[in-house]
Amino acid sequence: MTDNIIELRDVTYYYEGSKVPSLDNVSLGIRRGARTVILGANGAGKSTLFYHFNGVAEPAKGTVLFDGQPIKYKRRKLRELRSRIAVVLQNPDDQIFGQTVEADIAYGPSNIDLPKEEVDARVEEALFLTGLTELRDKNTLKLSYGQRKRLALAGALAMRPEVLVLDEPTAGLDPQMAQDFMELAERLHHDGTDVIISTHDVDLAYTWAEDIHVLREGTLVYSGDPDGFYGDDRCVLTSGVMQPSIFAINRGYCAMRGIDEAPRPRTEAQFVSKVSEGPRGMLTIVPVDAGAALQMPEIPDGVRVGVFGTDAKALGRSMGRTPDFMFGGFDACATDCLRGHDSVLLCDRGCLEMVSGKVALLGHFGPGIESRVLRAP
Amino acid sequence: MTDFVLEARDVSYSYSQKQPRPSLDGVSLGIRRGARTAILGANGAGKSTLFYHLNGVYRPKSGTVLYEGEPLDYGKPALRTLRSEVCVVVQNPDEQIFSSTVEEDIAFGLLNAGMERDEIERRIVESLFLVGMEGYRTRPSTQLSYGQRKRIAFAGALALRPKVLILDEPTAGLDPQMSLEVIEMVDQLVESGTSVVISTHDVDLAYTWAEDIHVIRGGRLEYSGSPDGFFSDSARAFSCGLKRPTPSVVDASLRPGSAMRPRTNAQLLASLAPEGAAFGKVTVVPVSDGFDASAASVPEGTPIGICGSRTRRAFASGGLRVDHAFNAVDGCMADAVRGRDSVLFCDEEMVGFARRAGRAVEAFGKGAVM
Amino acid sequence: MSEETQMDTLAYSSRMLGWAPLGKFAFACALIIVNLSTSSMLVPLVTLPIGLILMAYSTNFRIPFFIGLALAEAVLIIVLFAGMMSISGTSGNVVWEADILWIHARMTDDSFNYAWLVLLRSLASIAVMISFATSTPIPHLSQAFRQVRMPVEITEIVVLIYRYGFLLLERMEVMWSAASCRMGFNGAKRSISTVASIAVGIFISSSDMADKAQTALECRNYQGYFPVYNQPPKMGVKWLAVCVFAFVAIYLFGLRTEGMVDMYAILSGVLR
Repeated sequence: MTDNIIELRDVTYYYEGSKVPSLDNVSLGIRRGARTVILGANGAGKSTLFYHFNGVAEPAKGTVLFDGQPIKYKRRKLRELRSRIAVVLQNPDDQIFGQTVEADIAYGPSNIDLPKEEVDARVEEALFLTGLTELRDKNTLKLSYGQRKRLALAGALAMRPEVLVLDEPTAGLDPQMAQDFMELAERLHHDGTDVIISTHDVDLAYTWAEDIHVLREGTLVYSGDPDGFYGDDRCVLTSGVMQPSIFAINRGYCAMRGIDEAPRPRTEAQFVSKVSEGPRGMLTIVPVDAGAALQMPEIPDGVRVGVFGTDAKALGRSMGRTPDFMFGGFDACATDCLRGHDSVLLCDRGCLEMVSGKVALLGHFGPGIESRVLRAP
Repeated sequence: MTDFVLEARDVSYSYSQKQPRPSLDGVSLGIRRGARTAILGANGAGKSTLFYHLNGVYRPKSGTVLYEGEPLDYGKPALRTLRSEVCVVVQNPDEQIFSSTVEEDIAFGLLNAGMERDEIERRIVESLFLVGMEGYRTRPSTQLSYGQRKRIAFAGALALRPKVLILDEPTAGLDPQMSLEVIEMVDQLVESGTSVVISTHDVDLAYTWAEDIHVIRGGRLEYSGSPDGFFSDSARAFSCGLKRPTPSVVDASLRPGSAMRPRTNAQLLASLAPEGAAFGKVTVVPVSDGFDASAASVPEGTPIGICGSRTRRAFASGGLRVDHAFNAVDGCMADAVRGRDSVLFCDEEMVGFARRAGRAVEAFGKGAVM
Repeated sequence: MSEETQMDTLAYSSRMLGWAPLGKFAFACALIIVNLSTSSMLVPLVTLPIGLILMAYSTNFRIPFFIGLALAEAVLIIVLFAGMMSISGTSGNVVWEADILWIHARMTDDSFNYAWLVLLRSLASIAVMISFATSTPIPHLSQAFRQVRMPVEITEIVVLIYRYGFLLLERMEVMWSAASCRMGFNGAKRSISTVASIAVGIFISSSDMADKAQTALECRNYQGYFPVYNQPPKMGVKWLAVCVFAFVAIYLFGLRTEGMVDMYAILSGVLR
């Protein structure tokens, strides 16, 4: 038995008044605990698909199963379903309903009649996770776009969902905000929430996904491991997308050198780790605890500093010496190390495990980097 | 002396008195005639505000904007001329499409510029052809998809045959193939002599596409010059809310000492090619009106790339298979670097562009590709 | 797709799209007025088929489900109403009398005939109006108004509202489902406050949109009015002639046939 959290069986769906199905006989399973991407061109049916996940859309034919049970389209059942699966839309303004940051986060939990203490606790938690604690009393109209995007996520997190669906999470965000947002998603996934991303950004999808499901004009054309899809030129071309940059570079490189394409790197750092021999630098990881004073090691000139995690970022902003990499810290530091320079990464204590996983993964592609975690003296 | 078509001199602007810091703060930059220019910056850095200065919608609180070397005249007739020569296409097409059908919307700008009816008719046909939407002429604009609306917004600007085309986030919200098609369209315009400025925070796009970049951070100009000069330093890119483009990062890690960084995947592969590798050849076939795609013969197994609106059309009506339908120039070059021959069909005016791309790849590699 | 969008799609694909909007409007008005101007039962029996034929032609015999539904609803209401009228007669020969609950129902031959007249007139008017509505998109209507010298400001605003109406509507649909995902319709009190927040959101985005549209208009060289490239055909003499002819002919026909049809007599004859 496969362990699918969500499963669609032969789902067909028509928009009101339309004779062309928006989803045509789609069957797929979202694996529990896997990082999933729904990929497709504009108008391929991605949004329609995830509106089926949480029962907003009811299929004309076929069934949708959540946690093994067919979804029942009754008020009470739907309410229960939607407290277990949350959707974060592309445009945050579509789902902000409160006057202040705090009020908006409380909107969802108080709608399901939770006791006041429980609502407060959830608001606190969501504020903390998204790094919005200091903005709690701010008017939602006065937030920047990136902050509103975080607020929309916080509102979803306050429901403590088992599954989180992110629709085009990085659309309209500049690289910095996009990296921040994805770091957050990665952390949530690491902490046990199933995260599903719907996107047409192939580079993002490639770094993130374990499973991809590709839609083309309402039909499912591929389900499975991303490399299997991108390896099929014809299929990629007709699906309205392109090969991810790193995939194409790796393929070209391997063809020139006559080496095996696998293992296929998903990030720039992994590619460099695979193809370069050179001496490696040492990555020093400094754990950061919220509110605690930092035991900052001596940093020699020329060694660059990155941050990873919400607390580390807050600390980085208040530090005397501004870190060089305020976002995407891990990849930037790793790239420095791969070139033989040492680097230092300030990292939330909660993210240590994740970061060491990333270091280990680099080693999987070639001579990776060495790292040490600085212990409190 | 450099030849600037548009120039900003010490331009400052605030939306309201209460702003803690101005939205543009002493920005001076020049847009070179006929060049591909990208304005980069994080969200809210002031990219759009700058654009609206260039076509006279905003008037600087201090400083001057020059068009063709003359300070802008903010009188009504002068602005009317300016705005039909310097066209801004905003990011969200819904803000810019005012009419209920496609042809009405394209005619909107032309009628505003006071053009004759026959000329308008010609321009509608021409611009719809350029964006590949001839079949949609009488369609109501509310019934188009996002990508189609975006194309119509472009067509509305192209119809004016502007000297300078300014595109705010032209690829935002578009899927990968459509983005590449838009960029190809823009390339074709540049080849026919239009100066194009785009704003974006897609660093990979800016890096491969632009000749000049201007980086804005918090309303101040942070950098003006070639893309390499800016992106070679990752910490600097990071401090502006941007990151380093993929080819640049990979190349810098693998060939730390090199003076010249590749800007496309094909160039990157060329720079990483092993000693003594033999490059394949790219055969460029110019496509003019009346070209019959089914009559062309290409050996079995040789990859085929297509580029340009005319070529696209010729191939759409059937005939040959296409292997590189998008970003074909770089795709064919990458094949060549791997030692495979390929054939690139492209519109006549794009031949020069393809040749330049070939030379750029050769500069990194150890062989000829053309 | 919302009903507004469907109506729009329908109008743009109508076979009567190319007809002069003002002509269509005048013709519809002529039919509706003539319908009411004589008390002949035969007049609505003439205008009703005209309306139905136009409607069928305009929509190419493909009347979408929601319009059918709305029509059926309207017909039902009119039939009920006519039924009420037929049993509340005051003059003429009483043909049927009964006490239903607290109502004293009395049907006379006059009231019966009058109810039939009202029923037929309403159905004919609806058919005529729908044939107009399904063939004339809002921008064409605004064009028609411009032709009768309505101030430009008003016709421009009509077009802009129409255009932005779609965008706001789209937005509202998304916000609606987003709210239901966050359990915003859990109970009456919450539903009210959710609807209020959605309204606020729409209001803010509409003012935001207006701001941006202002800038975008300037970018497109807006000169203070919306020029129209493809003027829909103007209402020419032919249209005027058709309208006048239809009106006069049916009117005269109506005058001659007033009182000729006695629904009661016919029906009672049939029943017997």
